[in-house]
Amino acid sequence: MTALRDLIKNPTAAELELVARYAMLPEDARRERAFTAFAETGLPHRRMEAWKWTDFKAALTAVESPKGESAADPLVDGADLVFRFTPNGLSYPDKLPDGLRMLAKPDAEAFGAAEDLPLGAMTAALSGHKKSPGTLVFEVTDSVAERLHFVFDGAGEANFGRCVFVVREGASLKLSESYLGGAGLTSSLFEFDLKDGASLNRTIYQRGGKDEAVAVTAVISLDKEAEFTQTTLAFGAKVSRLETRVTHRAEGAKAILNAAYLSGLDFHSDITTHVRHGAPRCTTQQVTKGAVMDGGKGIFQGKFMVPRNVGQHTDADMQHHALLLEEGAEVFAKPELEIYADDVECAHGNTCGALDDSALFYMRQRGLPEAEARALLTEAFVAEAFAETDDLESVLREEAAKWLGV
Amino acid sequence: MPIMLKIENLSVSVGEADETSEILKGLSLEVPAGEVHAIMGPNGAGKSTLSYVLTGRPGYDVTGGSAALDGEDVLDMDPEERAAKGMFLSFQYPVEIPGVPVMTFVRTAMNAQRKLRGEDEISAPDFIKMSRDVAKKLDLSPDMLKRPVNVGFSGGEKKRLEIYQMMMLESRFLILDETDSGLDIDALRVVAEGVNTMRSPERGMLVITHYQRLLDYIKPDKVHVLAKGRIIKSGGPELAHRLEEEGYDGVMAEAI
Repeated sequence: MTALRDLIKNPTAAELELVARYAMLPEDARRERAFTAFAETGLPHRRMEAWKWTDFKAALTAVESPKGESAADPLVDGADLVFRFTPNGLSYPDKLPDGLRMLAKPDAEAFGAAEDLPLGAMTAALSGHKKSPGTLVFEVTDSVAERLHFVFDGAGEANFGRCVFVVREGASLKLSESYLGGAGLTSSLFEFDLKDGASLNRTIYQRGGKDEAVAVTAVISLDKEAEFTQTTLAFGAKVSRLETRVTHRAEGAKAILNAAYLSGLDFHSDITTHVRHGAPRCTTQQVTKGAVMDGGKGIFQGKFMVPRNVGQHTDADMQHHALLLEEGAEVFAKPELEIYADDVECAHGNTCGALDDSALFYMRQRGLPEAEARALLTEAFVAEAFAETDDLESVLREEAAKWLGV
Repeated sequence: MPIMLKIENLSVSVGEADETSEILKGLSLEVPAGEVHAIMGPNGAGKSTLSYVLTGRPGYDVTGGSAALDGEDVLDMDPEERAAKGMFLSFQYPVEIPGVPVMTFVRTAMNAQRKLRGEDEISAPDFIKMSRDVAKKLDLSPDMLKRPVNVGFSGGEKKRLEIYQMMMLESRFLILDETDSGLDIDALRVVAEGVNTMRSPERGMLVITHYQRLLDYIKPDKVHVLAKGRIIKSGGPELAHRLEEEGYDGVMAEAI
């Protein structure tokens, strides 16, 4: 057997600390498989194509407590059930509504794709503590009216959490997640398996410190006519990657993947999505909006994969539009449509530029000070990504406005 | 009546260092409070430049002269300061502001102006009542005021929305830049009626137009002909009719 410390080639200090964390956890075959998958690459770095703009290995020099504290949580108001992950453990409600069952497991089988993603595999291997479970597994059997809210906060070195959802035929669920910072490394893995006609609405709010690394990884698989809707508002961190992989597995499935990223000085925000149209007549709509200030960095990588035999009658639209609010702002975008089927409707748009000067002058002529005009235009621009939330649109819009100083 | 707008020998150029071109060349003009002055002129005479320079659009370089509102030079002020002083430009091509509803926009603008003037904000009920009254006069539906500013509006709707803003903001010096362009007769009448209700002894107006048609509805006290960057001729309302009959060439030949 390979010694643990030799699992990763030429490990960095941070990787050695991750190995040490793994060694402290109870032995488990599935956990070992996940860690081995992670160890193949170690922390992802810029020489890997999918990570060329987000060098996690370089940014995460050590797994240690950051200086700052967790941010406030705008999504907790109105949430019916709160699940909280901290560096020291997790808490969850003891009663759940009808139609929802939860199993707290030491670990659960990962859906295949999670292990192909280095940080997904890392999270699958490292979530959990000696005394608390590593994974929450939910089974949704009915339409649940209550919103489930998952919070990642609290001070410490690292905060890992993993949740698996199986949404049965025709059932539905809405959930929200707040990543509030406080740990040097926060990483979650969410897996969603939506059966025929099931639907799920997910909202993600992410904040992190300038000395924190954040990874939010999700793997979604959609059966016949299942509907998955996701809305993200990300403010980034020293390094931040929000990665979503969707597979349309049966006819008529629908995915909406919307996101807005707002990056200020020294913040890095990466929105990466991958959608495989593995069945006919599936739909994907994606709107990503970005606004970046001087010294901030925004990254969008989107891919639609439409295979020849199974992807016929795909209807997909990928839009990414970013505003460079100041000189010195950086946006990197890689929109990819890989289409082999011949009878599909796939559109995409990708732009990056400054605010419209004539709109700015128009607003100032009516009496708005320049800063306010800029903020209002930018807020309206990014808010387009919030249209599909389940009644959280105004909360997200307000958070964006606060950041912009409206 | 006191002079409200006083432009003296104003010269303006556009363009970068070695490729500048002078658009206004020593333009002088006075508009007393309570009067409506029309500026007519051929294409490229500098009519829109004048309206942009007066309201502070970036990109114009004032190389000489002055422009004062109520005796205060405005050329060094930010556009929003000039707006708070009462300057309003009805745009020839009103700009779309995606995602910002009309009501939100106008209320934000109104309160920003009030703040600059050191006044209290307008209350929500007062604003809504005022908006309802103004919209009714201009035949604007409440639904339109909930839509983003100018997005998806027809040419006529955009112009009516300009007048709506002008009336809501109760601006004191109004510049109408080619307000008649893109309007059919019915829309023109509604717009002109709105403008006419704004006429008052405390208010001045500059109506910039290419054609005489608008001046049948908004009767000017004086008409100026702007050509080659200067006012080349001024007169009463009859001058507009002469221009319509003889064309700019005739009047210009006589003036030069």
